[in-house]
Amino acid sequence: MSPWTQIALLAKREFLQRVTSKPFIITMSLLTVAILAVGPVVSLLADGVDEATTIGLTGGEPPGIEQELHAQAVLFGMEIEVDRFPTRVEAEAALADGQIAVVLVDGTEAVYHTEESSRLTALVHGAVDTTLKTAALTDAGLSEGEIALIVEPVSMGITTLEEEDTQDKAKSGAAFAGAMLLYVSIIMFGQFVAMGTVEEKQNRVVEVVLSRVRPWQVLVGKVGGIGLLGLLQLVVLAGAATTSAQLADLSDIDVAAIGLPIIASLILWFILGYTFYAFLYAAVGSTVSRQEELQGAIMIPIILILPGYLAAILAAESPEALLPTVASWLPPWAPFVMPVRVAAGVPQPWEILVAVVGTTLGAIALVWIGSRVYSGALLRTGGKVKLREAWKAADE
Amino acid sequence: MLELVDLSKRFGDVVALDGAGFVVERGRILGFLGPNGAGKTTAMRAVFGLIQPDTGSVFWNGATVGPEDRLHFGYMPEERGLYPKMKVHDQLVHFSRLSGLSKTEANEAVDHWLGVLGLSDRGDAKLDDLSHGNQQRAQLAAALAPNPELLILDEPFAGLDPIGVDSLAETLRDLASGGVAILFSSHQLDLVEDVCQDVAIINDGRIVLSGRLDDIKNDSTKRRLTIDVDGEPWTPDMVGVEVVDGPGPYHCIVDDDAPVVDLLEAASAAGVVNRFLFEPPRLTDLFREAVGS
Repeated sequence: MSPWTQIALLAKREFLQRVTSKPFIITMSLLTVAILAVGPVVSLLADGVDEATTIGLTGGEPPGIEQELHAQAVLFGMEIEVDRFPTRVEAEAALADGQIAVVLVDGTEAVYHTEESSRLTALVHGAVDTTLKTAALTDAGLSEGEIALIVEPVSMGITTLEEEDTQDKAKSGAAFAGAMLLYVSIIMFGQFVAMGTVEEKQNRVVEVVLSRVRPWQVLVGKVGGIGLLGLLQLVVLAGAATTSAQLADLSDIDVAAIGLPIIASLILWFILGYTFYAFLYAAVGSTVSRQEELQGAIMIPIILILPGYLAAILAAESPEALLPTVASWLPPWAPFVMPVRVAAGVPQPWEILVAVVGTTLGAIALVWIGSRVYSGALLRTGGKVKLREAWKAADE
Repeated sequence: MLELVDLSKRFGDVVALDGAGFVVERGRILGFLGPNGAGKTTAMRAVFGLIQPDTGSVFWNGATVGPEDRLHFGYMPEERGLYPKMKVHDQLVHFSRLSGLSKTEANEAVDHWLGVLGLSDRGDAKLDDLSHGNQQRAQLAAALAPNPELLILDEPFAGLDPIGVDSLAETLRDLASGGVAILFSSHQLDLVEDVCQDVAIINDGRIVLSGRLDDIKNDSTKRRLTIDVDGEPWTPDMVGVEVVDGPGPYHCIVDDDAPVVDLLEAASAAGVVNRFLFEPPRLTDLFREAVGS
C-alpha cells in the first residue's frame, strides 16, 4: 500500500469528521447567510440616502423663500422638499422623528435635531439672504433686472483633477478584507491542527495509528485534511462575499472583476501560509499532552503571525511604506501583506516572485522541522516536552 | 515467524532493552512476561517501529520488518485509545483500510469481528457512549479487523471480567489455530499458563527465559512438591527445599537433587502424610526463579 494512499485516508478522516460535525455546519451556515445578507441590507439602507431632503418652515417666513430654497437646491445639486409647521414645537417634533432635516424658524434661525449640516446651512442661508436682499432692493425701487444682477448667485464650476477610481478603491478594500479572512482562517485551522494533535495524544489513539503509518504520514494527512476544510470555508465565504456585493447593486463597480482574482489570490496564499503555519502548530501541539496546556504552546505561532496582521493594516493605508513592503517579502507575513499590496498595484513582479518563492521555501522548511519535532514528541505523554528534546528524540 | 534478535535500547541513563531476543511462531501463542519496567512495551514498540533500537533487529519470516510487513500485524498497545467521538464501525473500517484492506474487505472484516466480540449492535455508537468493557472489545477489534498474521497485545486481559477473559482466550486460541502468530503480555501468570504454548520472560531488558512452556517445565531442575501432614507442627526445613506457601498444606519448590526421601521421613515422623505430590513447576515458580524474587 502506497504511503500516499494512507495519507489520503488520514486526510479524508480529518476532513469528514470535521465537515460533518454540527458546530462546523452551524457556524458555516450562519456565517454564509450573514455575509450574503450584508449586500442587500446595505443596498436597502443606501436607497434612503438618495431620497429628497425635507426642509421645514415655521413662524414668519421671508416672501418667496420656498421658491428660493428650490433655486438654491439646484445650485447645490440637491433635491429638496419643503414642509410647513404651524408651531415651532410641532416642527421640532418632526425634526426629532427624522421627518425633516432642518427647520427654518422665523426666517432667521436654522434648527437641527442633533448635528448641523454645513451644506444645508449654506443652502438655507443662501435662500434667506437672497429673499431678504431682493425684498430690500425692491423696496429701494430697483427693477427686477437690476435686482437679479445683484442677487443672482454666481454659479461656480467645480473640477477635480483626478477622478476617484471607485473600482481601485473597492479592489483594495476587498483585498484587505481577504487578508483579514486569510489571517483568521490560518489561525483557526492552524489551531485545529494543534488541537487534533493533542487530542490524539490525550486519547492515546496515536500509538494505534502509528503502528500502521509513520509520523510524517499522520502529520501530512492531518494538515492536508484540515487544510482542505479551511480552503472550502475560505472559498465559500469569499464566494458569499462576492455574491453579496453583486446583490448590493454597486452600479459603478465590476464586482466579478474584483472578486474572482481575489479569490484566486486567497487560495494561493492560503495554501502557502497555511502550510507554513500548520506544521508549526502541529509541532508545538505535539509537545503537550493535554488541551489545557495547549494555549501556552501555541503562543509561538501566534506571536509570529501577529506582525503580519499589523503589517496588512499598514499596507492597506500605505502600501508603499517601508514596513509593509519588507513584510510582504518575508515568509511569515507575505501571505497577509502581499495580496493587499498587489491589489493596490504597488509591488514589482520580482517582489511578488520573492514572496511566493520565499514563502514556499519557508513552508518546506517548516514541513521538515515540524515533522521532526512531531515525530519526536508524539509518543511522549505525561507532560510538556521541550522542543529541543523532541528534536533529539526524533532519532530514537 | 517473528524474531527479535539482540535488541538494545537506552533512554538517557535508563536501559530499556539489553540484548533481548526471542521468537514468536505462527500458529502459537507466546506469553511475554516480566516485572513492570522490564522492557516488554519497548520490545513490542520496536516490532512496530515506534522506537528505533540502538542495536539488534526484528525479522518477519526471515526478513527485516518493514512498513509493508506491519500492515499485516495487529497491535493493541498498553495505552488504550481510539477516537472518542467517532462511530465504532467507522473507525474500525478506517484502521483496517490503513492496514491495506479495500473498502469492501474492511467492512466485511469489521462486521465479522464486531459480531464475534458481541458488538454488532454498537457499531453506530460513538466510542464515548460504550461501557468500559465494550471499549476494550472495540480496541481489540481494531487490532483484529485487518486480519493480521501477527497479533501483539499489551495486557489484553487487564480490566476484563471472567466471562470476557474466557471469551478472549477462546478467540486467541481460534486465531492461533488459524495460523496467526500471537504475542501478548500479562501479569496474570495462571492465565498465561492456561492460554500460551510458549513464553518469554524479560527482566532488566534481558530475556531470562524463553521457549516452549512444556519444554521449559520439563527441562527445569525444580519441581513443585505439595506436602499435607496431619499431626505435630512441622516445617519442611531442608537444603534444596524452598517453601512458597504453607503450612496446611505446604507448597515447596525442590531441586532435582534435594533429599526427598529425608523430607518424606521427616513428614512421616510429624504425623500422617495425606499428600506428598510431585508436579512440574508452575509458570509462577519459573517466573519467580527467572526474575530472582
